Amino acid sequence: MAPDVFDRETLLDLSVNVIPLFIILFFVGVFAVLPQFGYSLVPTLIQMALLIVPFVGLAILTYYSGKAIATSEAELEARERAVAGASAVEGSEETGELSEDEDAQPIEGTETDGDEESTASNE
Amino acid sequence: MEISGALLPAIPAQGAGVGTSGQLALTVLMGVFLVAVFLALTRAEDWRTYTPLAGGGYGESGHHVRHKPEGITRWLTTVDHKDIGMLYGLYAIVAFVWGGLAVLLMRTELFTPSMDVLGAVAGGTNAGNALYNGLLTSHGITMLFLFGTPIIAAFSNYFVPLLIGADDMAFPRINAIAFWLLPPGALLIWAGFFVPGLAPAQTSWTMYTPLSAEQAGFGADLMILGLHLTGVSATMGAINFIATIFTERGKNVNWANLDIFSWTILTQSGLILFAFPLLGSALIMLLLDRNFGTAFFAVDGGSPILWQHLFWFFGHPEVYILVLPPMGIVSYVLPRFSGRKLFGFKFVVYSTLAIGVLSFGVWAHHMFSTGIDPRIRASFMAVSLAIAIPSAVKTFNWITTMWNGKLRLTAPMLFCIGFISNFIIGGVTGVFLAAIPIDLVLHDTYYVVGHFHYIVMGAIAFAVFAGLYYWYPIFTGRMYQRSLAKWHFWSTMIGTNLTFFAMLLLGYNEMPRRYSTYAFNADWAPLQTVELLHQAATLGAFILAFGQIIWLVNFVQSWYEGPEVDGDPWGLRDTSLYGREFEWHERRLQTAVTDGGEEDEVATDGGVDETAAEEAVADEQSDE
Repeated sequence: MAPDVFDRETLLDLSVNVIPLFIILFFVGVFAVLPQFGYSLVPTLIQMALLIVPFVGLAILTYYSGKAIATSEAELEARERAVAGASAVEGSEETGELSEDEDAQPIEGTETDGDEESTASNE
Repeated sequence: MEISGALLPAIPAQGAGVGTSGQLALTVLMGVFLVAVFLALTRAEDWRTYTPLAGGGYGESGHHVRHKPEGITRWLTTVDHKDIGMLYGLYAIVAFVWGGLAVLLMRTELFTPSMDVLGAVAGGTNAGNALYNGLLTSHGITMLFLFGTPIIAAFSNYFVPLLIGADDMAFPRINAIAFWLLPPGALLIWAGFFVPGLAPAQTSWTMYTPLSAEQAGFGADLMILGLHLTGVSATMGAINFIATIFTERGKNVNWANLDIFSWTILTQSGLILFAFPLLGSALIMLLLDRNFGTAFFAVDGGSPILWQHLFWFFGHPEVYILVLPPMGIVSYVLPRFSGRKLFGFKFVVYSTLAIGVLSFGVWAHHMFSTGIDPRIRASFMAVSLAIAIPSAVKTFNWITTMWNGKLRLTAPMLFCIGFISNFIIGGVTGVFLAAIPIDLVLHDTYYVVGHFHYIVMGAIAFAVFAGLYYWYPIFTGRMYQRSLAKWHFWSTMIGTNLTFFAMLLLGYNEMPRRYSTYAFNADWAPLQTVELLHQAATLGAFILAFGQIIWLVNFVQSWYEGPEVDGDPWGLRDTSLYGREFEWHERRLQTAVTDGGEEDEVATDGGVDETAAEEAVADEQSDE
């Protein structure tokens, strides 16, 4: 499921939250490697927890919100495709009906095309 | 302590006087009364067939549409989300007036270094200082809890159901109860000023212990109780919004096309759900400390710093509770006058959620100078710096939305641009404060006051005005006077920047906050400069007040006399920016019963009518 949902576009959108995640991770590394005030069990544990808990919280929320939005987007697209498909089928039927009455159509069609072109050029 | 001592012995004495049989009779009587009330209510109304009214459609019952009661009864009994939104709005404006008057008195006092005005009003220097402290406390609590949160609730109640295609809120009656808890809350909070014999609380809005635990007077107790009520109200509202946005969305609305304002309200509601109950608990603990001899925050046996941790664990998310929905309003309104869709819509959504989570991890940056372990302090600094990123992302998105756009400088658009401008100043000064070394220098100075006022007034209030102007045609059916609106904008913009930039400079001059006088020795600090800056801040405050009077006059007068609008007052119908709320507004106008008569041509704000006039001229020329 996940690889389908998290396509390139979605991952790009989610990158906005990767930046604060990276900043937090950066400070975890800095405080672990360069402890300016030394190590001490409880304060260091709290120090790291204060960074890791928001990190995990943000990562989880980003994952689930990204998944929810991407899934909903796929649903919308599927719905739009279904509507477009249905109208295309209706359109083909109409074309079929029109083609039965070909004699009158070509001239009108040509005129219409010509009008559209002239309108476009005016714009 | 004295109060509890007086009250507690009275309870058993009263019980002994009544006697067991008397108590039993009272209990039975009360039970009968409650049953009678319940029966009367069930007879008066069928609770299961709620019909949202005035929407021009059918509700869940689907059979018929009843008209709302007339007059005051309508407003006292309404469960319609739009009516409740209006009530929230009215309530917030009343609070805004009180909070504004309080600060004008304070700024008047600060015009001169010594205690002059308030001393004369209260009768003596000490009484003047006490009054200043009371006004300071009331201003903060009123603006944050009685204006900020309710005005956002006004927008969300009115527009979220319309924007998501819901009939009403998920729990309309809880919605009404949540509002009706607020007026008693306000009365309790303000009681110290208006009830003879009570003194206003002098705790500041942060209510730091041991000051707040030991301060004598019933006014503080009532204020804490009132605050608790408003917290309960906000929590009920938040639960309602979460339920509404999750379960009541229309068929065509899902997470991918949910509007940005509803996203911010959803995030805000999540924050309220986790933050406000904690405030409620802390307030109860404070009340117990004050009245029942507990020692949660006592210097001996308890911890005053515990209060700060509990308070700021609520208090910092509260900042985002107040700022996220206004950001949503700006994200919603700005594109409509930029001629472009919001740039990076999903960036804004994800950064909103990021702010929501991270806001719970930064609370102790308000406490850098309390002597907490430097390792722990460093972690709070790191997360505080990280949370600046999502806010900056939003700012860049707003700017990019306007970039190369077809801008229309209507009143709502001007307020959106003002919001961005002020938010940048407020935000950048906040990033500096997030750095421990700078915070230790600037802590408790006017720099902090200037910083957060750039956010609460410069950003939040500006976005609120943007929303009020943008949706004015919907909730009044009329258009405001655009010249007055522009006067309002410019006076608010100039007043805000004059007042709060002066405060930033006062902070650099080490002027401490929360003082009613500053008649210090000129050898310690440049007194003349400080006085000049205070005078500039006071002048700015009066310019601000002038602007708000213009706004109030404009809104009230236009409500009665403004030209009636059609379903598309902003000329957006033919674009993809025509919102669901205006579609609803148009449907309402189409289904409304006409009363005959012609209306004048509607003049929309900001260039639309001019454009229309230009187009008409162009058409005439092309015809020729």
